[in-house]
Amino acid sequence: MSNEITIKIDGIEYKTQEGEYILNAARANDIFIPAICYLTRCSPTLACRICLVEADGKRVYACNAKAKAGMEVVTSTEEILEERRAIMEVYDVNHPLQCGVCDQSGECELQNYTLELAVDSQSYMIPDTKRETTNWSSVLHYDPGLCIVCERCTTVCKDMIGDAAIKTGPRGGTALDKGMKDAMPKDAYSMWNKLQKSVIVPSNGTGETKCSDCGECVAVCPVGALVSRDFVYTTNAWDLKRIPATCAHCSSGCQIYYETKPTSIEDPSEKIYRVTNEWNYVSLCGAGRFAYDFENRVASKDSDAFDKAVEALTKADSIRFNSVISNEEALMLQTMKEKFGKKLVNADAYAFQHFLRAYGRPAGKLLYGSDFKKIMKTDFVISVGSALRNDNPNARYAFNNIQKMNKGAGLYFHPIGDKVIADLGKSVETFAHKPGLEEAALYLILDLFAKREELPEEIVTYLDSFHSKGTKTIKEKVMENVTSTVVDKETGESKEVTKKVPKMVEKEIEVDINSLVTLLGGAENFSEIFEKMMKKKSSFSLIVGEDLYFHPNAENLAGLVSMIEKTCSMEVVLVPPKTNSLGVALICDLDENTEGYTVGYNENGDFKLSALGDGDLDMPAMNQQEGTLTNMNKRVTPTNAALEYNGYELNDLMQGLKVGRHLTVDWTEILADKKGFQAIAFDDLPNGYSNSGEEQRGYALKNIGKRASHALPKKFDENMKLEGEIAYRCNPQRQFNDFTDKAHQIFESFSLYASPARAEVLGEKVEVDFGTEKILFDVATDERMEGDIVKIPDFKSAKDIYALFGGDRFKNVTIRKV
Amino acid sequence: MSLEQFKNRNVGEQPYVLIESEHRPKSGMGRFQRVVNRTFKKELFTGLYVTMREMINTLFRGEMAAVKYPFEKLPISPRYRAIHDMLRLLESGHYRCIGCGLCEKICISNCIKMDTRYDENQRKEVTEYTINFGRCIFCGYCAEVCPELAIVHGGRYENASEQRASFSLFEDMLTPIDALKQQQEFDGFGAVTPNADNAIKKTPLAY
Amino acid sequence: MEIVNLAVLPEVTSAGVAIKAIIILAIISAVAGFGTFIERKVLAFMQRRLGPMHVGPYGLLQIAADGIKLFTKEDIVPQNANKLIFKIAPSITAATAFIALAAVPVFPDFTIPEWIPLLGGVFVPSIAADVNVGILFILGMMAAGLYGPLLAGMAQANKWGIIGSARTAVQFLSYEVVTGLSMLAPIMLVGSLSLVDFNNYQDGGFTSWMIWQQPVAFVLFLIAGFAETNRTPFDLLEHEAEIISGFATEYSGMRWGMFFIGEYANMITISVILAVVFMGGYNDLGFMAGWFIVVFKIAFFFFLMLWVRASWPHIRPDQLMWLSWKILMPVAVVNIVITGIVMMI
Repeated sequence: MSNEITIKIDGIEYKTQEGEYILNAARANDIFIPAICYLTRCSPTLACRICLVEADGKRVYACNAKAKAGMEVVTSTEEILEERRAIMEVYDVNHPLQCGVCDQSGECELQNYTLELAVDSQSYMIPDTKRETTNWSSVLHYDPGLCIVCERCTTVCKDMIGDAAIKTGPRGGTALDKGMKDAMPKDAYSMWNKLQKSVIVPSNGTGETKCSDCGECVAVCPVGALVSRDFVYTTNAWDLKRIPATCAHCSSGCQIYYETKPTSIEDPSEKIYRVTNEWNYVSLCGAGRFAYDFENRVASKDSDAFDKAVEALTKADSIRFNSVISNEEALMLQTMKEKFGKKLVNADAYAFQHFLRAYGRPAGKLLYGSDFKKIMKTDFVISVGSALRNDNPNARYAFNNIQKMNKGAGLYFHPIGDKVIADLGKSVETFAHKPGLEEAALYLILDLFAKREELPEEIVTYLDSFHSKGTKTIKEKVMENVTSTVVDKETGESKEVTKKVPKMVEKEIEVDINSLVTLLGGAENFSEIFEKMMKKKSSFSLIVGEDLYFHPNAENLAGLVSMIEKTCSMEVVLVPPKTNSLGVALICDLDENTEGYTVGYNENGDFKLSALGDGDLDMPAMNQQEGTLTNMNKRVTPTNAALEYNGYELNDLMQGLKVGRHLTVDWTEILADKKGFQAIAFDDLPNGYSNSGEEQRGYALKNIGKRASHALPKKFDENMKLEGEIAYRCNPQRQFNDFTDKAHQIFESFSLYASPARAEVLGEKVEVDFGTEKILFDVATDERMEGDIVKIPDFKSAKDIYALFGGDRFKNVTIRKV
Repeated sequence: MSLEQFKNRNVGEQPYVLIESEHRPKSGMGRFQRVVNRTFKKELFTGLYVTMREMINTLFRGEMAAVKYPFEKLPISPRYRAIHDMLRLLESGHYRCIGCGLCEKICISNCIKMDTRYDENQRKEVTEYTINFGRCIFCGYCAEVCPELAIVHGGRYENASEQRASFSLFEDMLTPIDALKQQQEFDGFGAVTPNADNAIKKTPLAY
Repeated sequence: MEIVNLAVLPEVTSAGVAIKAIIILAIISAVAGFGTFIERKVLAFMQRRLGPMHVGPYGLLQIAADGIKLFTKEDIVPQNANKLIFKIAPSITAATAFIALAAVPVFPDFTIPEWIPLLGGVFVPSIAADVNVGILFILGMMAAGLYGPLLAGMAQANKWGIIGSARTAVQFLSYEVVTGLSMLAPIMLVGSLSLVDFNNYQDGGFTSWMIWQQPVAFVLFLIAGFAETNRTPFDLLEHEAEIISGFATEYSGMRWGMFFIGEYANMITISVILAVVFMGGYNDLGFMAGWFIVVFKIAFFFFLMLWVRASWPHIRPDQLMWLSWKILMPVAVVNIVITGIVMMI
């Protein structure tokens, strides 16, 4: 790297990046500097002040001070240690001595640092304040008595999650004696002063957070103040067995640990008690954290059902499945297609595969160019065709993180307004365009960001056709010279003095009117706003969502995305619609429709293999099997079995068909037969993060290049936009599939979701007429939605919502009150 | 001996010394004399005297060593580590165990298990607690580590059972509520030391 | 003297002999059983224990419990054993022990009182069979008893048994010599082999006891008696620490019990001989009746055997033979020679 510098920490030279925080530089080089309040991917809070170090002789906070070339850092001196010890003593003032029952005991940072800094006596005191335990939501449990107000929860909620659902509020405690200021170390005093005044409260002023319930605040809490309601007092941290895995709910494929322990004294079978993550490097959503008990408990192998399943597979013409399967299973299904000519039908992956291929043809490569790690480094992010909050929480975290950390800007193109997205930053512009106009959105991006000289002539002409000149009256501040005569009182002399006085002038200027902006429902003064947004921006990224894959003109959209990537020097990511859609799209040759006798794998069919326990033969759920998943960051990540499974696996069925292998994970290595995959055995796949935050999980897919074709994207048709009553196929947050639905801590129901205003009109229950079929739905209010379009979830595969929507994600429906 | 010397020492030449033992007669006559000596040296009669003395002591001076065990029991030391007792708080009668799980963690034979939950009073409730006495080695670590003096060793050492592994539940070990007044503190492992007050630093309080 | 006595005493009828035999059998068996109880108690007390306590008062009914156990226990005959000999061997031990008692005067003569029906007036002799080779008969019978352990050990197809047999042969052969030689000197003095004559020889009160004339013979016979009866310190044949149970390894139930009874009967026999030959027999001692004092004497020797068992360790087979052949036998011979010389003078 060009901006690599050398700094000295405790006398030893280390290499780091220009502008890196000292703390991160030290951590990347395995040097320990204590820090409580700092979170790697968030802004420094400066609440704990314990990361105090000496840099070039000055006392600085390591989490906040940036490394400069040649800097000499001393991590601890006698004074610093004294300061840190005082800080820990202050943290321990009135901290309840209930480690015995506290859920954090054993992994508590307060315990750790108290011991680390050898605090063995207390020199400070203050009367305690009564603070009551509260439940903030259906999953969050807050005990302010234990809280040390490090603000990690508020920081992560704001900088990473984007909800900003919690903030510091008044504690109502006794004020600190001013005399203490001189009597104790400076930083400890100011930390205490702040601590004594504050406590964490939901930021909406009520007792409830009404947030995304992602539980990331629970994960980052260094003490036992924030715990998930289900976990409180059920077990101790050290009793849990950590199983490194990959979350199987959405295409983010986040790194998680399933933490298991026997259910109870009477029932020795393992149970997942909670899910934890490396919160410094990965953030989970509510589904990842709380939807873990979706296992399919099977008592024993049902050989009759197995024989029937083998028989069914033998006579089947097609196999229907969804993308909540591992790469290995996808390869098994593909093997069935290759050996026995079964048709493979997968609605979500089919659309994605289609789009990916259409993208790849002009782009000249197998896969999209970027991943979310790179996207999070950019400072201007655009999202098209994705209900960010619902489709992929990590995409939304990235969108938010760019606003907060990179002082970035964002454009959000989506027909359904979302309050959360709009509030992510000051420079976020949302376009609530009509469904069907996604092409126009992409043309607008081309228009705004593309280097004209790189665009084909035709496109330039086409883009220019949207621009027209217009005039606009604006008020401008003009500095005017005003000259007045002033008489000097002492001398009597008069003098002419000239002053500059601001004056508002109305002025008519010529502006460029972009009809695309108007068409997409952008703000009237968008060009000005955009000008402001573009200030100091150097890197750009584009998040492409599921709407584009399920679009009548998906192919054209793919071509446009490819052109944007080429001409706008943008980091582009396509968000796969379901967990392993990318893997399935790369591994399987999919067919559009089923034919004849169908075996369904977690889907409807004449014979049903199911990991949900409702089929003709039981299959293991994703937390009961080993395998790999391909996530949207183009990584093949391993996942391990957290819970016991006693039944048959897909590999057993393959053995029944005489094409099986010894173990499911024996398929991992031969994934290399498929494009992009590598021949690495399952047991050789790493699963973790390095101290510098480098992802060491599985391996990255190879993005194989190929000859690019030069088809020009087509013009869009304005008439494609949908009017009238529209339903949008979209899951509520924390719901992704049948498995999240099965989990007991996920409460979002299978209902029709509407904005508060719309929900009021619709009443409690409605019948939705899709033309072919009518379905009854309860109406649920999504507080953060705007507009009239309603969301219809697809997480219940048995309801076959995909079939109702066909190739689209937006559909005209008739909604009747019932 | 330095390591060098130690390694170079010649074991075969080591001057071993035969420990002084009784002179062994070489000739037959010598052996005969030894028999005669031993025969008339009262050694045999000393043996007879000792057993007779013990018999008399046993029968008439009450120095019987045997105890009719199941009917009579010897008093055991308060430090004796037998079947565990779960104690209650004397004031409220509530069980002392807070469910911290330290005993479960420290148990070297992995025989302690507990189930806890968040109860209605926002406290950690111990719903069940078992010790597998088929595995327990009565090392006393659980009693030592217990911060609440809740699990202690009791005096019940008769733990033979018809079952191969005998489990004990919370209720079995808990002091019966009506016997609360008879509850004894345990003086063994983990008990508060007599000078505990001097050994701790006091935390200042603002009240 | 002998003739005079016979003339004075009533006729010895077969009924009297039968009654005496039954008395001996019944009493000695019972006493042997009781002996086991006494042995356990005495050993326990000497080791500061309680001994049997729970069956009956002070564990007195332990004998009954043991008897029931022995009678009801399964009789196991090993597969490769010589079954006939295996089954007979215990009987040899028990039988020879009781046969030996036939020539032992256990109690003084008495006549069953007239008022008892059927048997009233029957004279019961002190000795069941007052054969004129009395002491020789007893010693011979006891020596014949060695066939019991010898055959038992060899018949049971067990290596511990074989070792037990070998030790039996070695031990009995060695000590039979000493027994005989040590007894020879008193026989020379008394001039008769009948135990009644031995008894009568010592009727001159305490000072006329044979032990004062033949102390060496007494000690030698005592030692040899321990070996004959297979008691500590000469319990080589079945020493548990070395050869499990020696000749009795494979025996169980009543067959094993018969060895036991035999052993205790032999102990009583030896005690009786010691009492009669050396310690004044059943002659009255001052105001104490003879029958009472003899029981006391017999009990003392019985107790002595237990006492020794509690006090002394047992010896090795080589030591045992060395002692017998190189010490005891020469001493016995010298004793006979000296006795002879003294008598001649």
